[in-house]
Amino acid sequence: MSEEIRRRLQDAQARLTPEQIIAALDLALTTWRAPDSLYRDKLARDHGVFSREVLETGTIEGLRDWTGEALRALRASEMREPCWAPRLTTVWLAGTIPTAAFHAMMIPLLAGSAVYAKAPSHDPTSPRLFAESLRAADPDLGAALVVGNDEELLETADAVVAHGSDETVAAIRARVPPSRVFVGHGHKLSVAAVGPDVPVEEAAAAVGLDIALYDGRGCLSPAYLLVSDDPRGRADAFAVALSKVLQSLASELPRGPLSADEEAMVREMRARAAVRNGVRLEMPPGSTCWTVIREPLGSTPRPGWLRSVPVIPLSDATELTHRCAALAPHLSCLGHAGWGAQRAEVTRAVREGGGSRTCPLGRMQYPPINWNQDGLSPLGSILRVIDEEGSAGRRA
Amino acid sequence: MQVLAWIGEGAGSVRDDIRFEALALETFRFQYARNPAYRRLCQALGVRPDSVQRWQDIPSVPTGAFKEARLATFPEEEEIRTFRTSGSTSQRRGALHLDTLEVYEASLLASFDAYVCAGWGRMRFAVLAPSETDAPDSSLSYMFSTACREFGTPDSRFYATRDGWHLEQAIADLQEAKQPVAVLGTAFAFVHLLDILAGRGIRLALADGSRVMETGGFKGRSRELTREVLHSGLSIGLGVPHASIINQYGMCELGSQFYEPSLANGIPTRTKKVPPWVRTRVVDPATMTDVASGETGILLHYDLANTGSVIAVQTSDIGRSLEDGFEVMGRLQGAEARGCSIAADILLGGP
Repeated sequence: MSEEIRRRLQDAQARLTPEQIIAALDLALTTWRAPDSLYRDKLARDHGVFSREVLETGTIEGLRDWTGEALRALRASEMREPCWAPRLTTVWLAGTIPTAAFHAMMIPLLAGSAVYAKAPSHDPTSPRLFAESLRAADPDLGAALVVGNDEELLETADAVVAHGSDETVAAIRARVPPSRVFVGHGHKLSVAAVGPDVPVEEAAAAVGLDIALYDGRGCLSPAYLLVSDDPRGRADAFAVALSKVLQSLASELPRGPLSADEEAMVREMRARAAVRNGVRLEMPPGSTCWTVIREPLGSTPRPGWLRSVPVIPLSDATELTHRCAALAPHLSCLGHAGWGAQRAEVTRAVREGGGSRTCPLGRMQYPPINWNQDGLSPLGSILRVIDEEGSAGRRA
Repeated sequence: MQVLAWIGEGAGSVRDDIRFEALALETFRFQYARNPAYRRLCQALGVRPDSVQRWQDIPSVPTGAFKEARLATFPEEEEIRTFRTSGSTSQRRGALHLDTLEVYEASLLASFDAYVCAGWGRMRFAVLAPSETDAPDSSLSYMFSTACREFGTPDSRFYATRDGWHLEQAIADLQEAKQPVAVLGTAFAFVHLLDILAGRGIRLALADGSRVMETGGFKGRSRELTREVLHSGLSIGLGVPHASIINQYGMCELGSQFYEPSLANGIPTRTKKVPPWVRTRVVDPATMTDVASGETGILLHYDLANTGSVIAVQTSDIGRSLEDGFEVMGRLQGAEARGCSIAADILLGGP
């Protein structure tokens, strides 16, 4: 079975030129961005984890800059000839964020590889619909992408890109022969940092979007909000402003349904915060749809989730780096606003935390197509560059 | 003290709902006034003492909160014992703080006497767990040590010490035992015991009246067996009938424990008996309202023996209520399933 899939995928991809691949991907993405996109409508109907409003906003805005031009530029910058590209890449997907699944499947296709994608158990819809849109855009490229559950292809694919928990990634890595290319993306979380040079209401409005989109489920969702507390009480003012934003977003970008377990976990998160001295909670009465946990100086709370987030005051800019360093190597993205002259501290913090991205608040859920996730170049991580030396031993 | 008096009447005393409600509300008001961490939780939930009129309305504390704050009605200097949940030193561990062991001990002895001793009197105990001397912060070890002291014969023994496990010695002692033995221990210790017995081709034949009490789950310290497989293995490996093998359900955060009454009734059952001074609710985690009888939900315990902490404890255990108790059916799933954010045990460090 796996050999047949492998042959079919490779045959399909072999018929395509790079420009055809880019054109097909561009067309598929365009159909997703279209105002009356049938795929977005199907996604909203079948996804089950997020509300229609969240999926609409996240998909339209998230794919806005993923254009043919951006794909062409990415390929040109990372795929220098001569190089070897995998003929078949198995992509082990995780999580529930549609655009993350799209990105993970597109990148090997762009490299000229066929793709076998294993859909995540909680979101089989996103990869399925993306494959459908690709088939409609170009049947040849569509035939080079199969979504399924054949784990044998882990062992026979030329490259494996695995997303998931650290344990899952380690287990997959153990199954991939050493001679194959393996790229693992394990546990990550993100942080939002509000500096002294931005009005708290402005920062709250921006980060509220980062929290509401994908309901805090993604690794780009801010799990901690670190807020410059100079003058003292500023972090509290931010928390109050954020609670108003989240209340407003509860109707504009409603949270998706929670499982019973998740409901219980939000309640437990609140209780664990409430019993601690100096903590104050902002939350809507009778609902778990959002929580702002106002932490005291120096506290070490658990990360936020499902639109329940801790706001931690920072006594000075250097504390930002100390805080992020404690997350190393699990930091992914550091969203920021208002750091002005202390902007270098943001870069230092993301570096110390093991992160690979900084961006303005309000943009955390929208990584560019050429994002170096986990510090790895998207195409380069699955390619093998070939150095051709001249007679003097220098690279030609 | 009225709670102590009730417990003193034994596990078979009358389940008096009026008596329970009066004591529960009195205890709640005391705890609200004297337990700052609990008061903070009540205030966050908008609950005041005068707004609670029924025991079911007393705010419950999830077990996770015991890892975050000292939930006690007395100052630290009055503390005489702290029991902690299991876990590595790098993890936050839940704690039950005690300023007296009188109520705790009375409750554990009343239930142990009713459901483990079950009218037998003193018996030799073989304990597959450390004693309280070797594990002073383990509530389970405290329970075993107290039970040994009150109900055990002088040749009772613990087969786990700071030096490690002594299961070979346990097997040798059990092989030689001529009188009934109560073999008590954690589920994972029993798995290891059964593995040794199987590896050596030994089947013990404990004397009539012998019994087994397993508790505490596996905690990743052995392979996991279903209850049926574990109890069948114990029945075959130790030579005791199924009705003489019981599971105890307890937790560090509670002063009382729950037992299957198989030994007392002579009929195997999975139902956990609720002591008269405890009430257990099964609630829908989404709404925190009671589920219909027989439906599954999470377990909430209201334990009058929790005088010095909080009376109402919300567990992560899934179960269902039965006519004369409840059945435990599993645990809430982890946080990770539908997201890709990091496991919540990774903490953001301070400066």
